[in-house]
Amino acid sequence: MDWQALILSLELAAATLAVLLPSGLWLGRWLARTRFAGKAWIEAMVVLPLVLPPTVLGYYLLVSMGGASPLGAWVKQAFGVSLTFNFLGLLVASVIFNVPFLVQPVQRAFEAIPANLGEAAAVSGLSAWQAFWRIELPLAWPGVLSACVLTFVHTLGEFGVVLMVGGSIPGETKTVAIAIYDRVQSFDLAGANQMALLLLLFSLGAVTASFFASARLVVRR
Amino acid sequence: MSGPDPKTSLALVVEVEQALPMPLSGSLRCEAGELLALVGPSGAGKTSLLRMLAGLMRPQQGRVAVGGEVWCDTAQGLFLPPQRRHVGLVFQNYALMPHLSAVDNVALSLLHLPRRERLEQARQWLDHVHLSADQQARRPAALSGGQQQRVAVARALAREPKLLLLDEPFSAVDQMNRQGLYRLLADLRRELAIPIVLVTHDLNEARMLADRLAVMDVGRVLQEGTPAHIHSAPRNARVADLVGIQNRFQGVWLGPADSPGQGRLRWTGDTAGDPAAPLLTVRDKGKLPPGQAVNWVIPNDGIVLVDAGARGPGDFDAEVAEARHLGEITLVTLNVPAVPGARLVLTLAGAQRQALAPGARLSARLDPARVHVMPLRARPGAGPGVA
Repeated sequence: MDWQALILSLELAAATLAVLLPSGLWLGRWLARTRFAGKAWIEAMVVLPLVLPPTVLGYYLLVSMGGASPLGAWVKQAFGVSLTFNFLGLLVASVIFNVPFLVQPVQRAFEAIPANLGEAAAVSGLSAWQAFWRIELPLAWPGVLSACVLTFVHTLGEFGVVLMVGGSIPGETKTVAIAIYDRVQSFDLAGANQMALLLLLFSLGAVTASFFASARLVVRR
Repeated sequence: MSGPDPKTSLALVVEVEQALPMPLSGSLRCEAGELLALVGPSGAGKTSLLRMLAGLMRPQQGRVAVGGEVWCDTAQGLFLPPQRRHVGLVFQNYALMPHLSAVDNVALSLLHLPRRERLEQARQWLDHVHLSADQQARRPAALSGGQQQRVAVARALAREPKLLLLDEPFSAVDQMNRQGLYRLLADLRRELAIPIVLVTHDLNEARMLADRLAVMDVGRVLQEGTPAHIHSAPRNARVADLVGIQNRFQGVWLGPADSPGQGRLRWTGDTAGDPAAPLLTVRDKGKLPPGQAVNWVIPNDGIVLVDAGARGPGDFDAEVAEARHLGEITLVTLNVPAVPGARLVLTLAGAQRQALAPGARLSARLDPARVHVMPLRARPGAGPGVA
């Protein structure tokens, strides 16, 4: 069992969620409540990471964030850090890769809130901020919760993008999915099996728990 | 508006003129303690007008003032958002927050208070609309339609509104619960010294509850007045149709009659050259030129049926075409042989209706004072251009 890789994966998943949740909430809510001509383009961009092969996405991230790219060079100069083959680069890639997993369920959850509830809140004197905390977020919460679980579990299992952008540096970019791949390559099937089973059970448990929680939240109203 | 009468100074005064996104035009006034009903078919702009009053929609051009406060004046670029208008709005489907109990729903209107006081006041408002303590703790899904409506009313009142708006509040409530809610509304009207605006498509409801009606069609306020006035003197044929006046005919105004203040009206316009076409002698306000094509109406209670034998001068022979006995009332349709194609429709109660069967012959006496004549300026039934 490669505990280092497992802990790294959990750290990456937590960090991804921490970055993506606030921005994803904002984007999902905005998409749910706004209509404009180019909306389909933005929705398509959100879904793109879901349909692209991870290697394609990883390739473009590598090219655009590498030291030779303008972005990579600027970040290196301004902050003294590189965006490839380290944890930070992995985090950036992971956030981008997880956009559809968080934003889409969040958008659906906000879309499901009847428009007149927001109007009723305004007429009752609630500011936009009060309406968000007291009405919208509690009503969207089951959707937001399952989006969080999906994002977290999906990060744990991500392979292609992580390999392209991060390589396989132990303790820095070697996640549990890559560790499993390495074990299989070196014919350590017992080691691979242990980690694969752990990942399977954890993912199944987390997703099931989130579905139960959502169902309970929905029933309660 | 700044007059000395405190009742007047609390009035709602509205003017609006817009073409987009939907046409909306007219001006209204509703005094404090008065209930104004907006009536008209769906799509008439009733709910849009209500949303404008609540601040949920910004008019292209318009002015809304309540109790001396100006809430909206597009000429001065002034528009207060709903949060800054003290307005209570009861939504058509109540728009209660599904995740909050009844008492928490009402407490939403009281967020400016500390939590304990907020809940205490919310409970008082719910007591006021007769919701039990057990019902107050329930979520909306566990309440009946009528109870949900009471919560919505309590939430609107807790805002201590200067204007109360009710959007089809009775549409989702069954007939039995409606009676109780009508009573609640009547009680509230007595207690609250604020203007109340009710949107409804149910004319009976409007007549029963409202002091004044505003008849709307295709975004325009066609006529405003007391129910009795609109019924006896609709401004045009469209208003007559919208308020359900069934006895409307097209005729020709023939000019003054022999006695002063009276004019002669030919019943029908179709028999222009027919000297036998029946004439009515009715009130003359001196506004119509002779030969003017007109619409004329007579309300149900302007028609009296008498036995054929008791026919007097000016009465018309009539024959029952259809009599539908509906519980306590009977709907009668009469043919008038002297006017081919003309039909009188009456709602009758009492003993007289029992003798009515198809084919029965009677006399119809039309009260000339109740005949209301309107000039015909467009095709019959053509919308707001008729006025």
